[in-house]
Amino acid sequence: MNNIYLPQLVTIEDIYEEAPDVRSFRLVFKDAGLRDSFEFKTGQFGLYSAFGQGESTFCIASSPTRKGYIQCTFRKSGRVTGGLAQLSIGDTMGFRGPYGNSFPLDEWKGKDIVFIAGGIGLPPVRSVIWNCLDRREDFGRITIVYGARTVADLVYKNELAHWEDRTDVRVIQAVDPGGQTPDWKGKVGFVPMVLEEAAPSAKNAVAVTCGPPIMIKYVIAALGKLGFTDESIYTTLENKMKCGVGKCGRCNVGDVYICKEGPVYTAAEVKKMYNDL
Amino acid sequence: MADRYLDKDGLAKLISSVIGKGGRFIAPATVARQTVFKEVITADEVATGYILARNSFKEFLFPQTEVVADFSIRKDGVELRARDVKAVDTVVFGGRPCEAASVASLRSVFTWDFVDEFYTKREDKTVVISVACTNGDDACFCTTVGLSPESVAGSDIMLYETTKGGWLVHSVTDKGKAFVAAHEVVFGAQSADTDAVTLYNPAPIEGIDLARIGGRLKDRGHYEDPIWAELTRKCIGCGACTYVCPTCHCFDIIDEGTAFEGERRKNWDACQIDMFTLHASGHNPRDVQWKRWRNRFMCKFNFYPEKFKSTGCVGCGRCIRVCPVRLDITEAMEALSK
Repeated sequence: MNNIYLPQLVTIEDIYEEAPDVRSFRLVFKDAGLRDSFEFKTGQFGLYSAFGQGESTFCIASSPTRKGYIQCTFRKSGRVTGGLAQLSIGDTMGFRGPYGNSFPLDEWKGKDIVFIAGGIGLPPVRSVIWNCLDRREDFGRITIVYGARTVADLVYKNELAHWEDRTDVRVIQAVDPGGQTPDWKGKVGFVPMVLEEAAPSAKNAVAVTCGPPIMIKYVIAALGKLGFTDESIYTTLENKMKCGVGKCGRCNVGDVYICKEGPVYTAAEVKKMYNDL
Repeated sequence: MADRYLDKDGLAKLISSVIGKGGRFIAPATVARQTVFKEVITADEVATGYILARNSFKEFLFPQTEVVADFSIRKDGVELRARDVKAVDTVVFGGRPCEAASVASLRSVFTWDFVDEFYTKREDKTVVISVACTNGDDACFCTTVGLSPESVAGSDIMLYETTKGGWLVHSVTDKGKAFVAAHEVVFGAQSADTDAVTLYNPAPIEGIDLARIGGRLKDRGHYEDPIWAELTRKCIGCGACTYVCPTCHCFDIIDEGTAFEGERRKNWDACQIDMFTLHASGHNPRDVQWKRWRNRFMCKFNFYPEKFKSTGCVGCGRCIRVCPVRLDITEAMEALSK
């Protein structure tokens, strides 16, 4: 029988502490055949199991250009993520996926790309960033605007430092007012305002954004002011899901089932949806 | 139309025959003074004179709780074992045409792209023998949603009660015909008892226009309409409507067990519960009850017909009968027809 709810077993090969209560796992499939054959597209998601605690949905935070493993990043906040947080290197967990659609990178060839992320919204964008950087010659200027509530809450600190060091990437980091430390060298302010100030050119450019729903809303407005059309703004809608395959009834925004038709949408598509985000 | 005949003795033989071959026989029976679908083993248990069982028979196709996998957590890793469905031949007897129509609806959700074989394997092994309605109550509204007390959609066999207490048998589908053929001895030829009881014939509720409701739900203007909050202010979010509804299909996937052994289960859930769509961040897209109620209404009159191409509401009226605050879905249908 084809059991669509059966996860694959994966081993935690490495763990990275990203921020307080935020952790990344590097995962490899136990099944050697699957390790080689597993493919996904940037923007797709999966369901991750802590056996005994249940399943949670996260994006795949690694890029499909990096073969042989997948990475997920999660914040410990409930029963499943609490269970995941107790696991150590070498432990077994479950993965089901990949599900959903993806970012159309091939359509973006030759364009500038602006990434805008807030807090724990960077992991889905990270997959796109690395995918673009791994085929850097395909794209024009790359800008990353990333903010979090406090300096401690910024995830992927090492990678942010690496991206800042690169000459072919412009990185702007920000923390919310009050979240800065005395030695903070980045911006202080909310992501949409920092984005407006950075003012990346909208000419022949696309924007990719993910973060809290309220941030996405104002980022889309800010991008509009900078001249970005709704068709050139992409986001990923990470709603709560249990099945990931269009049956459990949770992730729908009005009549749009995020797990089946999404999670990646343009702002133009989002604006056509029922106001249910 | 009716090609064969069944009487109470025949029913008794039918039950023994189905059970004798390892199958199960589901029928309305009296439990704690209520008529509910349950597994029966004798014809005496089968209720008579009921309008509709309190629950729908969906739980025999889509169980309230079902193990999809189990696991053992050991020092050297996790042993994960997939579960299969051991679907047995099932007869659902005595359901009404309204709920029979819901079988195609459940199938449409469970086979939409990904196929949930936990559902399909059970449904494939099920024969639905419905009884045309000779009575109804104020909560019934099948004719308002385009069905009728004798519509055959979803039924493999349709029975018509006779004045002498037997049933005229109309085989609807090939599955139904094969079932009758396999139980030749039980289903007699037409007998002298051919007088069918007059069927219930309710008029559709005036002022409800399904096409208009469908149109209004599609054009998104209604979405923030204060009508939703007004109509559903008294809803307490108990979810009872969803559990008795034959087309409600929402479920949760959770792990149960001890620290080292456990099962992954698919459990019924309800879109009316406040935590249903709550994000880990605290954000909740359906943060107030009227949005949750609106979602259920949208599911019945927009998602099902538009997305799954099937019937969302079959007009059985269970949600009206069971609601502790007397919230009546037909009131919303009327309001949305304006």
